[in-house]
Amino acid sequence: MAGKVKKMMDVIIAQRSKGNKAIARAVETKLILKGIDPQNYTSTSPDDPAVIRTLEDMARQLGVNV
Amino acid sequence: MKTAYSTEASPQKAVEEIQNGLSGPDPRMVLFFASAAYDQDTLAAEMRKGFEKSEIIGCTSAGEIVSGKMLKNSVVAMSFDPDDIADLSVAVIEDVHRIESVDSAMKSLEDHFKKPLREMNPKEYIGFILIDGLSVAEEKVMDRIGDLTEVYFIGGSAGDDLKFQKTHVFVGDKALSGAAVLAIIKPSIRFDLIKTQSFCTIKNKFLTATKVDEARREVIEFDGKPAAQAYADALGMSVEDAENQFMHNPVGVMVIDEPYVRSPQQIKDGRMVFYCNVKEGMKLALLSSTDIVDGTRKAVQEKEKEMGKIRGIVNFHCILRTLELEDKGTTQPYADIFANIPTVGFSTYGEQFIGHINQTSTMVVFGDAESE
Repeated sequence: MAGKVKKMMDVIIAQRSKGNKAIARAVETKLILKGIDPQNYTSTSPDDPAVIRTLEDMARQLGVNV
Repeated sequence: MKTAYSTEASPQKAVEEIQNGLSGPDPRMVLFFASAAYDQDTLAAEMRKGFEKSEIIGCTSAGEIVSGKMLKNSVVAMSFDPDDIADLSVAVIEDVHRIESVDSAMKSLEDHFKKPLREMNPKEYIGFILIDGLSVAEEKVMDRIGDLTEVYFIGGSAGDDLKFQKTHVFVGDKALSGAAVLAIIKPSIRFDLIKTQSFCTIKNKFLTATKVDEARREVIEFDGKPAAQAYADALGMSVEDAENQFMHNPVGVMVIDEPYVRSPQQIKDGRMVFYCNVKEGMKLALLSSTDIVDGTRKAVQEKEKEMGKIRGIVNFHCILRTLELEDKGTTQPYADIFANIPTVGFSTYGEQFIGHINQTSTMVVFGDAESE
């Protein structure tokens, strides 16, 4: 399977920014500083279980349902 | 918004001079930065006595900045008039190593504003953070704050005049170590932010951290090689020579085209120790220094064009930038950028802007009222 990582990050950014571009950029920065760069993942990126687990943790910390 | 400074050695006399400089109606808030040379408990108590009706926050520094001057062994302060601030709340993280302590401080801010922190609009509110600069806790604190709110917390890690023994943050009449002070302000005047780091990337030079000791801020390996060797190879020089390049060639986590700088501190058994942590898997761009004075002047001028008249700046300025300015003999040209703008700031042991960063100036810029 592929694309789950990107989908999860899109959900986190969308839920936190509510469409505000400046906030979306700040949330993206937070993800990068937490260790996962959204730019490195596309809809064809493999579903790496370790990255997915990390993102689930991040989402929980950010109060986002993925 | 007014600024004042004192180079008096006695805390009593210094605060008296600050009081005289900030004379007028009782400020809503006084923000101050002081050399570690003062007796910090006495200084905090004197500031409380001098500004009884104001919120007081501050921290110790590694050099102080005030409009047109970069000082040592001084106190600098900025007062915010009641007209400048629509609302304000201050909270203390008593123990920066405990997430519960961060949560408790943030909850207290939320309770004050009676609004979920996540729903506070970063265009209406601005946060300040002043944190123990020797705690090695800044990343975790900033990460947690970022989880809880979209409000930008801008600030600096407290210094101690390069003694690296003990730093303090101030709130009310207290001087605290191992702590952080948070403030969320709802200004009634325009505000904006500057983040400027005076570095450019070196084309196609990247290092990926493949093994790290995050708690110690150490990178053990870059790209599967001993970190120091990989860094030296990227610069095309020996490890011994590379150690002298830290100030001019730090690395940066790139967010689009903007670096979030991580500055190397030392090489230890082939590992690289940084002033800021690097996560395993992080791809870092190798950076090359550009002119701090020129870069900062442009950043301030651009902000002035966007905002109109600037009424005040709070400048959290990395100590490594201060040392580079001293090294190049450009301290006064840097200070002159702020000569006609009420400014306070200090030389920090790290800067905060979304996360914890190095070799950067993070600034909060205040303008006129929205309607003017």
